[in-house]
Amino acid sequence: MSVEAETIEQRTAALKGLGTSRKRVEDSRFTQGKGNYVDDLKMPNMLFGDFVRSQHAHAYVKSIDTSAALALPGVIAVLTAKDLEPLSLHWMPTLAGDKQMVLADGKVLFQGQEVAFVVAEDRYIAADAIDLVKVEYEELPALVDPFKAELPDAPILREDIADNLEGAHGPRRHPNHIFTWEQGDKDATESILASAPVVAEEMVYYHRTHPCPLETCGAVASMDKVNGKLTLWGTFQAPHVVRTVASLLSGIAEHNIRVVSPDIGGGFGNKVGVYPGYVCAIVASIVTGQPVKWVEDRMENLTSTAFARDYHMQGKIAATAEGKILGLWCHTTADHGAFDACADPTKYPAGFMNICTGSYDIPTAYLAVDGIYTNKAPGGVAYRCSFRVTEAAYFIERMIEVLAIKLNMDAAELRSINFIRKEQFPYQSALGWEYDSGDYHSAWNKALEAVNYKALRAEQAKQVEAFKAGETRKLMGIGLCHFTEIVGAGPVKNCDILGMGMFDSCEIRIHPTGSAIARLGTISQGQGHATTFAQILASEIGISADDITIEEGDTDTAPYGLGTYGSRSTPVAGAATAMAGRKIRAKAQMIAAYLLEVHDNDVEWEVDRFVVKGAPERFKTMKEVAFASYTQAIPGVEPGLEAVSYYDPPNMTYPFGAYICVMDIDVDTGVSDIRQFFALDDCGTRINPMIIEGQVHGGLTEALAIALGQEIAYDELGNVKTGSLMDFFIPTSWETPNYTTDFTETPSPHHPIGAKGVGESPNVGGVPAFSNAINDAFKAFGLTHTHMPHDHWRIWKTANKLGLHA
Amino acid sequence: MILKDEVNIPLNRDAVFQALNDPEILKASIPGCEELLQHSDTELEATVVVKFGPVKASFKSDVVIDPTAGPESFSLSGSGDAGVAGFAKGGAEVNLTEQEDGTLLSYEVNIDIGGKLAQVGGRLIEGTSKRLAKKFFVNFEEAVLSRHT
Repeated sequence: MSVEAETIEQRTAALKGLGTSRKRVEDSRFTQGKGNYVDDLKMPNMLFGDFVRSQHAHAYVKSIDTSAALALPGVIAVLTAKDLEPLSLHWMPTLAGDKQMVLADGKVLFQGQEVAFVVAEDRYIAADAIDLVKVEYEELPALVDPFKAELPDAPILREDIADNLEGAHGPRRHPNHIFTWEQGDKDATESILASAPVVAEEMVYYHRTHPCPLETCGAVASMDKVNGKLTLWGTFQAPHVVRTVASLLSGIAEHNIRVVSPDIGGGFGNKVGVYPGYVCAIVASIVTGQPVKWVEDRMENLTSTAFARDYHMQGKIAATAEGKILGLWCHTTADHGAFDACADPTKYPAGFMNICTGSYDIPTAYLAVDGIYTNKAPGGVAYRCSFRVTEAAYFIERMIEVLAIKLNMDAAELRSINFIRKEQFPYQSALGWEYDSGDYHSAWNKALEAVNYKALRAEQAKQVEAFKAGETRKLMGIGLCHFTEIVGAGPVKNCDILGMGMFDSCEIRIHPTGSAIARLGTISQGQGHATTFAQILASEIGISADDITIEEGDTDTAPYGLGTYGSRSTPVAGAATAMAGRKIRAKAQMIAAYLLEVHDNDVEWEVDRFVVKGAPERFKTMKEVAFASYTQAIPGVEPGLEAVSYYDPPNMTYPFGAYICVMDIDVDTGVSDIRQFFALDDCGTRINPMIIEGQVHGGLTEALAIALGQEIAYDELGNVKTGSLMDFFIPTSWETPNYTTDFTETPSPHHPIGAKGVGESPNVGGVPAFSNAINDAFKAFGLTHTHMPHDHWRIWKTANKLGLHA
Repeated sequence: MILKDEVNIPLNRDAVFQALNDPEILKASIPGCEELLQHSDTELEATVVVKFGPVKASFKSDVVIDPTAGPESFSLSGSGDAGVAGFAKGGAEVNLTEQEDGTLLSYEVNIDIGGKLAQVGGRLIEGTSKRLAKKFFVNFEEAVLSRHT
């Protein structure tokens, strides 16, 4: 029976490679409850650890009495700083060059801080034992306002380093001051501000919020005392880095530590850092010789593991009377909490905040960031964004709106005349970045046309008149945003975490029958890596994505990588995957040529096979080549078909997008109703459009949460006021609007397949779009700027302040 | 958090003032008071169980009363520890004004609540505290009147 030859198109489609909306292979297990998360791990003799936490935001710990807890049947141990001190594990280094208490060493610095670690036979006994640990505190005044940190009567928080005039990022001017980071040209910017025809100024506060992944942080440590091998399962976004840190801290040789990230229920930056729970679980397992599980509850997650944002950004923007931007100035007061535990590349203590010139050709700019200690939880992670990029995008997109008001100019037009033009790429920004590629005008115009922007503005003007005439109590807001991200950290020459260069990796093995396994240094937390990386590889090596297994997260098997955060998986590990695939293809070409009895140069690649040039009927498929590589002795070629690539990206990638949000606001109730949301994303080459759309929907919903209510609020005593989901806003389907998505495609010139990354774009671009819509609604009544989060109560207060309830 | 209110008690001022200094009456008045020990004329120790929404907390409280400005006014201060559930501290100023038909008792309670209670019960604390303060003086009036009838 003869098989009809398939066309090139049919063969390409069969690969399910780049550009295919392939269904997520992970979902069959997730939707059937068959995922394997840390808390699903059950081991014989497993113990449970739980923390005694500080009630106080700032206090000396006078004494800890563990006797009653230890007397409770089923309690195995209660660890305090005194027990960890002989191991030098009562403090641990943070990712930002600071150190953090593992367990309270003489004092506590934030509410919820870890004071003692109870180890018991089950989690219920552990919870009971926590009640029995008696901690005597001497309360100290709490510092919750970073602007009061350097006042004469401010309490000194970090007495351990109060006398250090030099921190990890240069000089410190006060015991509560962490660093000053300066970028750009201060003098030139200030002289432009002094002479420019128009200067707009605003304080833009991006409030404290929290990534709040569905699954909280947790770990299981198991020390095998016979083999001397420690296995650590955990919710780690960077398992390989955790292994290195665990080795350096514990003194256990790195080859004797195996770190495994199983399925992870969302990370969003919360699971990048190293937490006291991991250290205590490891110590407890070493001490007891039994596996120890620690999983935080929701309140512990919100109040003690890494928060995001808390940036007070004072901005000045200078322009000509026609609206051409001349300069941008920003001073940020960054509230870092009690320990500087930001997860940023070492050389960037304020992350990539210096992308704050956004999508605009701003010739001169200056940025200074002051990091400040307060009695709040540590963190400052990139919540679904690349290191502080969402702060930067929010800042510039608010400043553009504020400038437009000052100029009495349409904000869409103002953006348009200041965009970096297509022909200016690669573009050198005033604050030191080289933007790889972009076509902002095309994206912007497409978005404006899609929503019929002019008609919207006309409708809005009519509505304002109707409101003034008493015919309606609703106002309409149009939220514009054109954002540019900087993702895919990053070049080893300037990006590292704890000294580890931020490359990533992929190792591929082709099996004899022509299927494959690829292992990567990243780890999916819901992004769908098992689906998309197989697609990248399918297009590179001509094996169907369905025949490729993707594996990540086990440091014993996966190649070393820096993990998944900052939209770096596709730009870095995705590039490594393509490069490793090309190594496979290069070897396969030699094998194919041998099998076809022609010279290497006489065969060429075509979708899934090598074809003899000029004789397309003579070919060897990748499947045939794979089989031959294991079954035939090929002169000069090693058996097998494997490749490894460690990829150091030459530059970051710069995805961008144009978002427009239309909102109706009830002035009397403060209720905001999203009428329309249009999101156009340009993430370069699109690997799986369905996954992109899913990412955009998810990210926009998180952005909506942040802009419209989600916050970690503290009272003046340092109590967390939003420590549970009763007060911390997570949108449900009730609050989530319909989104319209679209795209343009401007490939990255330096990425092997031109992809830029997309997972975080909707959070970065969504927040300014939602916030701008709220601000825009009240513009006609004299509002220039009001702070997030725009919950109903605050919107009502804004309306009230403007006299709209009279 | 500051709570203010007033209540009229149909007794003369001295009687009301005496009652404020009477541990038995205080015990009967404090909502959820399980135990009240008197360590001296001015120092008391109370065990009080309070429910803030989903959190039930048992406060062990040290209270110091100051009757020196009596019978025109009376003040107390104290702090309570509810273990892992949280803590509270604060004070109360009570003014007693003679009226034709009795004594006007006006109070101003200043209370700070911290720890887990403040996290879980943030939105419940003010309402609960107001309710408890009101309940205290209602109970107080009842206890005083029953003593005097």
